[in-house]
Amino acid sequence: MPELTQSALSSKSGFGRLALLVFFLGPAVVIYAAFSVYPLIATMALASFTTDQAGAYHFAGIDNFILLLTDKDWRGPFWNALGNNVLFFIIHMLVQNPIGIAIAGLLSLPALKFRATYRTLIFMPTMLSVVIIGFAWNLILSPLWGVSEGFLKFFGLGSLFQPWLGLEGSALITIGLISVWQFVGIPLMLIYAALLNIPEELVDAARIDGLSHLRIFFHVKLPLIMPTIGLVSILTFVGNFNAFDLVYAIKGALAGPNFSTDLLGTFFYRTFFGNQLQLGSPTMGATVATAMFLIILMGVCVYLFLVQRRLERHSF
Amino acid sequence: MARLNLDQVSKSFGTAEILKAVSLSIEDGEFVVLVGPSGCGKSTLLRLIAGLDPMTSGTLQIGDRVVNDLAPAERKIAMVFQSYALYPHRNVRDNMTFGLKFSGMKKDEIDRRVAEATRMLQLGELLERKPRDLSGGQRQRVAIGRAIVREPDVFLFDEPLSNLDAALRVSTRVEIARLHAMLRATMIYVTHDQTEAMTLADRIVVMNKGRIEQVGAPLDLYFTPANLFVAGFIGSPGMNLFSAHLTQAAETLTATTGFGYALPVKGATLASAASVTIGIRPEHVLFGETPYQAFSARVDLVERLGEISYLYCATVNGTPLIAEWRGRHTPSVGDTVKLSADPGTIHMFGADGTRVPDAVR
Ligand SMILES: Nc1ncnc2c1ncn2[C@@H]1O[C@H](COP(=O)(O)OP(=O)(O)O)[C@@H](O)[C@H]1O
Ligand SMILES: [Mg+2]
Repeated sequence: MPELTQSALSSKSGFGRLALLVFFLGPAVVIYAAFSVYPLIATMALASFTTDQAGAYHFAGIDNFILLLTDKDWRGPFWNALGNNVLFFIIHMLVQNPIGIAIAGLLSLPALKFRATYRTLIFMPTMLSVVIIGFAWNLILSPLWGVSEGFLKFFGLGSLFQPWLGLEGSALITIGLISVWQFVGIPLMLIYAALLNIPEELVDAARIDGLSHLRIFFHVKLPLIMPTIGLVSILTFVGNFNAFDLVYAIKGALAGPNFSTDLLGTFFYRTFFGNQLQLGSPTMGATVATAMFLIILMGVCVYLFLVQRRLERHSF
Repeated sequence: MARLNLDQVSKSFGTAEILKAVSLSIEDGEFVVLVGPSGCGKSTLLRLIAGLDPMTSGTLQIGDRVVNDLAPAERKIAMVFQSYALYPHRNVRDNMTFGLKFSGMKKDEIDRRVAEATRMLQLGELLERKPRDLSGGQRQRVAIGRAIVREPDVFLFDEPLSNLDAALRVSTRVEIARLHAMLRATMIYVTHDQTEAMTLADRIVVMNKGRIEQVGAPLDLYFTPANLFVAGFIGSPGMNLFSAHLTQAAETLTATTGFGYALPVKGATLASAASVTIGIRPEHVLFGETPYQAFSARVDLVERLGEISYLYCATVNGTPLIAEWRGRHTPSVGDTVKLSADPGTIHMFGADGTRVPDAVR
């Protein structure tokens, strides 16, 4: 095929060549532009306008962003949501990914039985609707009808029970852990696939060198799957900073108690669509959306230019 | 350095019996090559010796220890893999010292061993490189170096040359032979390439379908194969095999093939009406007038290699055979040639496939 395209490109000149490019690239460019580029640019453009009492739009430059970062009514909720989001991401990095790596390591042990069953069970929550997950965990953790209190009591740990989803100090962590439970299958699958890619002879060589399974995992396998762990981290980052649905399903748009579970996603939702006493503002909504985009973009750039370059890819 | 003793070693994966009661003794310092067709269980046997897989039954002794229940690292063995299996994230030096460091060996001792292996294998300039920056032959040398620094009693090689190109294969083969002469360690070497087996081995073990067919010095296997399998496997191109049946006339027993080649034979185990197989190597086929029993064949194809040529022939009833021709003026395709062989070079195998010694007179 490459030869075909090559010769088609070189044999035609001018118009013919252009027609060929339009034919092959056109559809993708049009679809990408219409559904990705245009909305993004339109959002950014909208963020540079304000509306007055009469509803007319006025160009405002970066005033909206200054408002968001400095105004006393905007800055508090914004930094709160951003801080919560960072914590939400840290929970995933410290809990979800290590658990995913550990389970993948166990699944790849040669002696394991019922491998496929474990894999399916662990991946199951990822396939469930967020609404169902939110509802189910609300029931499980509910102090009124939840099973968790009885469960703890059964083990004599009843005094440990708290209405975790209702306390300001623990609600975000609880939702973070529910999200971990939901999504742990994804890093698990990616890392499991990477582990399967490591040739058996390499592990055999390490065994002959006298390394235990644990040492083989930390000194041979783990360094070799670093690129995949990097990929998982950046996917986690993007997913977490776009998160919205789980908080909305469990706590609603107000992200209670007292906004302690507010993420950038829920903050954006209230800003754009309005909520209870708050009026929706398309321009401020677009401003928050643009800010989220820039935050994610910065994170991805840091990863691409500082982290990924140091990760060596190994071919076996 | 140590003797190695396998006693009735079997291995099954699930219900499939891959190795069937293999027994073998290997002397201290011996170079033993396991050959056999792909899938006959050579690698499986090597992995059992290494301790990478448990055996289903049997006993394995290395030196004077029974090592059945010892981990690979405790068996004083080192293994070189077909894929080299170097740690891709470590440089050459670390690849060699990886295991030693974890075993808690002193740095002086590690340095001494690495220096020695480096000198022996000329790895000097490569020490700081990563495996991906090495050629196939260099990687193989590093893999051998990693085995040497363990200073094992027994070296295990699993088809170490099969990923190299032809020229490198020859030079690495020579290097391994030199290494064996220098280290005097026991070496067990798996290959399906009989040239490697013939050139390297003190003794060859021919395996087939999980059993040992014959153990012997390379030339013993060539000149006195114990059975049809070894006869067909050792030598290239393979031995010509003709089925024949025995008839008794007066005092003489005669083996006659379907194309009328009749050989007077003797042997206590041979009886009239039995079917046997006659074997003649291509290089032992004689042309033209000889004092021996002869038969004719038509030349179908001539393969000219220079010093020798191979004639692919068919006998009058279509039985194919290959004959080696020395010299320049080969017969042409379509010619009929008169073929024979010195009885001393003709092999005979009984109905069960085992060799009948000195049967042809
Ligand atoms: N882990 C395994 N599970 C099941 N069958 C295996 C396993 N390893 C090897 N075998 C089978 O054992 C037979 C011998 O394999 P092997 O020892 O690798 O042959 P070779 O002589 O080519 O090295 C093959 O038929 C192979 O399919
Ligand atoms: Mg093999």
